[in-house]
Amino acid sequence: MPRIEFKGVTKTYPDGTRAVADLDLVVEDGELLCLLGPSGCGKSSTIRALAGLEVVSEGIILADNNRIDRLPPQARDCAMIFENYALYPHLTAFENIAMPLRARRLPVPEIKRRVMEIARILRIESLMGRRPSRLSGGEKQRVGIGRALVREPAMFLMDEPLGHLEAYLRVELRAEIRRLQERLGITTIYVTHDQEEAAAIADRIAVMSGGRLQQVGSFLDLLDRPVNRFVAEFVGEPPMVFLPVERTGADSIAVKGVQIPLSEPLTAALRATKDSELTLGVRPNDICVVRPVPEHLNGEVTLVQPQGDHAIVAVRTPAGPATVFVSSDRRPAAGAAVGLVFASERLYIFDSTARSLLHNREDSGG
Amino acid sequence: MTVALIRNKELGPGSPAAWPIGTLRYLVAAIFTGFCLFPFYVIVTTALKTETAIFAWPPVWNFKPTLQSFYNALFVFGGRSAVFYLINSMVISVVSTFLAVVLGAMAAYAFARFSFAGKGHLAFWILSTRFAPPVAFIVPIYLMVQKVGLLDSHIALILIYTAMNLSLVIWILRGFFAEIPIEIEEAALVDGYSRLQIFWRVAVPLVRPGIVSTAILSAIFSWNEFLYAMVLTQSRAATLPVYLAGFSNSMGLAWGEYMAVGTMAVLPILVFTFAVQKHLVRGLTFGAVK
Repeated sequence: MPRIEFKGVTKTYPDGTRAVADLDLVVEDGELLCLLGPSGCGKSSTIRALAGLEVVSEGIILADNNRIDRLPPQARDCAMIFENYALYPHLTAFENIAMPLRARRLPVPEIKRRVMEIARILRIESLMGRRPSRLSGGEKQRVGIGRALVREPAMFLMDEPLGHLEAYLRVELRAEIRRLQERLGITTIYVTHDQEEAAAIADRIAVMSGGRLQQVGSFLDLLDRPVNRFVAEFVGEPPMVFLPVERTGADSIAVKGVQIPLSEPLTAALRATKDSELTLGVRPNDICVVRPVPEHLNGEVTLVQPQGDHAIVAVRTPAGPATVFVSSDRRPAAGAAVGLVFASERLYIFDSTARSLLHNREDSGG
Repeated sequence: MTVALIRNKELGPGSPAAWPIGTLRYLVAAIFTGFCLFPFYVIVTTALKTETAIFAWPPVWNFKPTLQSFYNALFVFGGRSAVFYLINSMVISVVSTFLAVVLGAMAAYAFARFSFAGKGHLAFWILSTRFAPPVAFIVPIYLMVQKVGLLDSHIALILIYTAMNLSLVIWILRGFFAEIPIEIEEAALVDGYSRLQIFWRVAVPLVRPGIVSTAILSAIFSWNEFLYAMVLTQSRAATLPVYLAGFSNSMGLAWGEYMAVGTMAVLPILVFTFAVQKHLVRGLTFGAVK
């Protein structure tokens, strides 16, 4: 199974849209990498370029150091799963799964054996005689997965494979995809806009925005060490709270006149920059709701959304809106005046270019 | 419409109000059908009548059918039998329809799926070949056919009918191909098929209704075409319409035999259309995506 490498890959469409810009990304042998990002971020264009469905405008794609970006799709040995299934409507489920094998002119008994084996693994044996129009969404995508799996491809490319399915099926099928992928050890790129899905399935996650790769890492990496404001906001649910801060000294900041205590690394990072247009970032579960006192940032509760043992509380502060995660038994009532206290060890500061100061420091520190 | 009306709650099948409107609809449909079928009735019954019955006045409705006219047209008449012209018509129609559909489908697929320089102009030019009335081209085409020595040949008619049908096939099938969800073909690409394989194994089966419709239309056109056949053929490659037209001058007018050949001229297209009609189903691509 190959190691896939994108080097400076750029995809510009004829209308001038730049879908992917200067992408450098390595997918390790046997790894499941998620491309995560909002719609239009270039994640689909990236795997379509890898599959050969789009021609890259600049840059190269390597599979085990062999250049593949000029090969026709049928020579790349990628199997793809499509968001809208893309089954052959005139063929039965059996024939759909058999199509890649027929393209390789395998002997008929061999085709039958392999298709039925895949059908057994995916538990769709009883559906083999049906046309796609008589399958449910989940069944169709199982056939789609079977079609991709049956020829043991070098790479698996999945373009939002579970996007059209109901929530319970998504959870079930993603576990199944992960199990099969681990068992077969096939290098896989999985495109999704759903961070929960990415977190559940991926070895590593590559976050994209506006055609550019933002950050690659495990879900916890992205959550704990976002490189910029986009990643900080996109990864984590509910999203990070951002508040504009005033710089009150070389190593101190304040939000609307309220001094914010900072951790030692963050203080050091702050000292290293002259930037004064800074934004404070804090995750909703790193904020404590307390009684309002003048030395805290105070605000008014505008909305309380109970979520079981937790509640998501929206607070309007003089610096801007904030979201706070509060345990249910301690949740305030709407309209209540509250004070907010931030966990100083868990704060982020973003500079005027939206980069995280902590990340800058790590970069310069080697 | 009728079904919708009957299923309507206020005018259900049991309610008395449903009947007058429903009956009226069927009455109108029956009258129209009768109007359309009457010429066929006359053709077929005349072909089956004896000569005296044909000219009887008032017309006889009850008569003993005879196949004498068919027999005469096929075996007795001077010159070649109707079978000869029937075979000419069939060869020319089948071959030109086949060529037009195969070439047209490939061209239509290219128009639907690929982008190339001058695509719009090319498509318009293909359509423009049908703008002028065929009679406008008859002299130049006659001269061309004469120069290449193809007068009174099957090939000349086959080529001309193919060319005339091509624009129709291309324009109709282009729409059919364009409606195939592109992801199905992309799936076939990553499954390991070449463009040509995808065309035959995926695209063509999915536009089967379009192919059947255009084949029917092409076959009808080739079968019925009279002007070019009349001008470009004499005897060897003459088609059934030419033979039919020849009835009135060479034989006086043998009504029974004339109508017998007319009946034979209608039958093949009728049989062909019924035979392929089951392929004219909608929704072949249902269930492929989403």
